[in-house]
Amino acid sequence: MNHDLVLANLNLYAVLPNLEELVRHDEEMALLTRDWDICIQFSVLRGPSAFVEFKNGTCTVGRGKHSNPTVKLFFLTPGHMNKMFDGKSQPVPLKGFTKLGFLAKEFSKLTDRMEYYLKPTEDSLSNPDFVFLNTLMTMHTAGRAVSELALGDPVGKHVVQGMMDGSLMMKVLPEGPAITINFKNGRASMQKGESANPMACMFLKNMEIANSLLNQKLDAFSAIAGGDVMIRGQTPMLDAMDLILDRIPHYLDA
Amino acid sequence: MKTYTYTESQKLFQRATKVIPCGIYGHLSPAPLIPADAYPFYVSKALGSRFWDVDGNEFIDYMCAYGPMVMGYNYKPVDDAAARQYAQANCVTSPGPVMVELAEKLVDVVSIADWAFFAKNGNDVTTYASMVARKATGRKKMVLIKGGYHGVAPWAQTFGHHGILEEDGQNTIRIPWNDFEAFKKVVDQHPNDIAGFMATPYHHPTFVDNEMPAPGYWEKVETLCKAKGIVLIVDDIRCGFRLDMRGSHEYFGFKPDLVCFCKAIGNGYPISALVGTDALKNDAAKVFYTGSYWFSAAPMAAALATLNEMEAINGPKVMTEFGEKLKKGLVDVAANHGYDLKVTGHPAMPYLRITDDPTLMLHQNWCAECTKRGAFFSSHHNWFVSTAHTREDLDRTLEIADDAFLAIKNNNE
Repeated sequence: MNHDLVLANLNLYAVLPNLEELVRHDEEMALLTRDWDICIQFSVLRGPSAFVEFKNGTCTVGRGKHSNPTVKLFFLTPGHMNKMFDGKSQPVPLKGFTKLGFLAKEFSKLTDRMEYYLKPTEDSLSNPDFVFLNTLMTMHTAGRAVSELALGDPVGKHVVQGMMDGSLMMKVLPEGPAITINFKNGRASMQKGESANPMACMFLKNMEIANSLLNQKLDAFSAIAGGDVMIRGQTPMLDAMDLILDRIPHYLDA
Repeated sequence: MKTYTYTESQKLFQRATKVIPCGIYGHLSPAPLIPADAYPFYVSKALGSRFWDVDGNEFIDYMCAYGPMVMGYNYKPVDDAAARQYAQANCVTSPGPVMVELAEKLVDVVSIADWAFFAKNGNDVTTYASMVARKATGRKKMVLIKGGYHGVAPWAQTFGHHGILEEDGQNTIRIPWNDFEAFKKVVDQHPNDIAGFMATPYHHPTFVDNEMPAPGYWEKVETLCKAKGIVLIVDDIRCGFRLDMRGSHEYFGFKPDLVCFCKAIGNGYPISALVGTDALKNDAAKVFYTGSYWFSAAPMAAALATLNEMEAINGPKVMTEFGEKLKKGLVDVAANHGYDLKVTGHPAMPYLRITDDPTLMLHQNWCAECTKRGAFFSSHHNWFVSTAHTREDLDRTLEIADDAFLAIKNNNE
């Protein structure tokens, strides 16, 4: 799988689903999307596809093709779509021409807001609400990215093949968000929330620590030894996940 | 039973993180000690089988510095030998006579050894061994065991780890332990391209039960290596001089071409050695390989004294007997509390795991509770015993183990 295709998968399957949490947690965006009734399909020629559906004040991001999208946006190549995520290209609209204005104005407000939350600054990190949503979205992005990198990135594929089956839980203490990444037969998948029977656990002491670790501002080894990050169980799974997560910047920060 | 706290260790660690990457790096990093807050990070003194941390807590040490301590910390005959050599000369423009004496000693003690070469760390000599094998055969590939550890050089690590390139492993083939057919298949697939086969005498990876060689395994490997001109290399860095003074290959009944030693050879003084057969001596001579401190005489004097002392008391026998008692005692204590404690590997290097919990969390909790009571137990790595461990250590360890099982039971209720 080439770099552009891995990045396209990450954009569609790891980053785009953050719209769900954005609409759920950001009051302004919840208000903006409250009355939307639209489904936008993203499709790459012989490549990945996903849809974003707004209905009854909720947002659902799904993998694959929707049965009846309102808008169809087509991309000739994975690179074409990646450029759109960077704001440097336009998709080819195949359906929903009357909605193009909506996409340019209303939908862009939403994606701009998502970008704001995913790219923290010193200023924005002084706001606890921002820290919460940035942490939540970064954690979900990381979890979803593990499954994509395990499929398409050469290092990720190699590492995941050597991993034992079982679930790995990452949770922010005391009552913060959690994700579970399930590994089976060299594949990975993420689910939101805790696992009842994890093979390995990583507990992050609080939201601030979680935010620093997920934004790669904290050395994990020091944090574990110092008690800010607590690990339990089959810790080789955590080591392997760390190797896969370290591949994210090769794509999303490139 | 009183449990320990580690205020000073933590303070020192916080200072360390400001000036040292990850505070304490490598195999002494506290990160794999689970939970880390149950363990001491810094030592203030050590004697015999015990050490004291910077908080004044005393521990019976079952990691023995991850192997190098074999006769006890500050063991006087070895320290005296090193001190005498330090007083005369250590790191100088030319090596000291002790280098020859130590090589003669190894040739005398280790059954296959016709020569010896000295370095500092295990990885120095595993790397050198692979270079000698390549020089001798004119071939590229090394066959290693999946999960086997031969040091931190890029060729010995696996692709995916930080700083390791795919190309670093392009001449390394990994096969499962105890799978002779897999070795045979690899040899058939790469005719005239396998330079060497390197493995530990038995399989002692981390996080999983250790495995002894299957009956006939080494014999078949040795026969195939000889038939195909493949250099057979034993990485005896952990096991060396703990299983058998003549080399662990004698314990398992086979004859390798090269054997790598480190850890127990110098009772904590920095030295490693590669020994080999006469057939490889000229090839070893042709491979240029050296290091700034590899000729330092004091560690060589320490190694000579260690080998003499170990021979005199039959160190492997002493450690095996202690290890057997430790194993039986701990298994019985666990059983009294309703737990199944599985002990694998050699008694001098036991690997322990409570089988009742596949996540290892129960085992980690027990090791942590033992450590907080004064028996330093790692939960994921084989332990090491030494000739300095005593009956008193054993009795105290079993008391601690018993109390720790009570604690984890109480914590779970």
